[in-house]
Amino acid sequence: MITIPSHPRYLSVIRSVTATMADIYGMADRAREDVKLAVDEACSNVMKYAYRGDTGRKIVVKFFIRKAFEVVIEDSGIKARPESIEGRSLDDVRPGGLGVHFIRRTFDVFAFDQRKKKGNRLRLIRHRREEDEDRDRGQ
Amino acid sequence: MKIEIADNKGLKVIALSGDIDMHSSPELRKELMFLVQKKVTPLFVDFRGVSYIDSSGIATFVEGLKGMMTYGGKLKFVGIPERIMEIFCFAKLDKVFEIYGTMNDACNR
Repeated sequence: MITIPSHPRYLSVIRSVTATMADIYGMADRAREDVKLAVDEACSNVMKYAYRGDTGRKIVVKFFIRKAFEVVIEDSGIKARPESIEGRSLDDVRPGGLGVHFIRRTFDVFAFDQRKKKGNRLRLIRHRREEDEDRDRGQ
Repeated sequence: MKIEIADNKGLKVIALSGDIDMHSSPELRKELMFLVQKKVTPLFVDFRGVSYIDSSGIATFVEGLKGMMTYGGKLKFVGIPERIMEIFCFAKLDKVFEIYGTMNDACNR
């Protein structure tokens, strides 16, 4: 588990820890980079939308290495409305709206825990994929 | 992230290195949009030293490109590392930006 202030300067810490956890899980390089980007995007979204740029709050990121690779991101900011979270069409070229695509392509589960009363608890789960196992096979 | 802006035989080049993320992209946006406001064209971005880019970095370049299109400017990317190219392809931006392997290629087209 790691707790960071909600300041973008700490995103590099999140990326570094995520990459290390992906290594421990045994992910191949490509998958590790995808996971790193997706967790970065999820934390960036907390900073932008849950905390609206307030850099003095906390973000808690938990990693669970089981059969699947699971990341839980918690904040105490404004509740997300999951039904409104949708990236822009990839054919509609304009700034913004890509982060959600990066998260969804990487994780099989992208779900907010509705039991959390204050703030958000985002659960991201990536089931082991064939490409994740390349390293195990020594490819 | 480090930003260096240089003139290469009279051509404006933004050479980037390190990570482009939500922390560093505002600085990049400031430098890029300054050149866009000056209607620089062509404008080259050297990606060879870039180790990481997130959606905020990509959004910065999309905004820059849109700004340049208003005056017919050319934004040319050079030396994009494989991992970053994969992200551009996923986002279908490889068809939107002009991407070249080397400065020579970028200058000659």
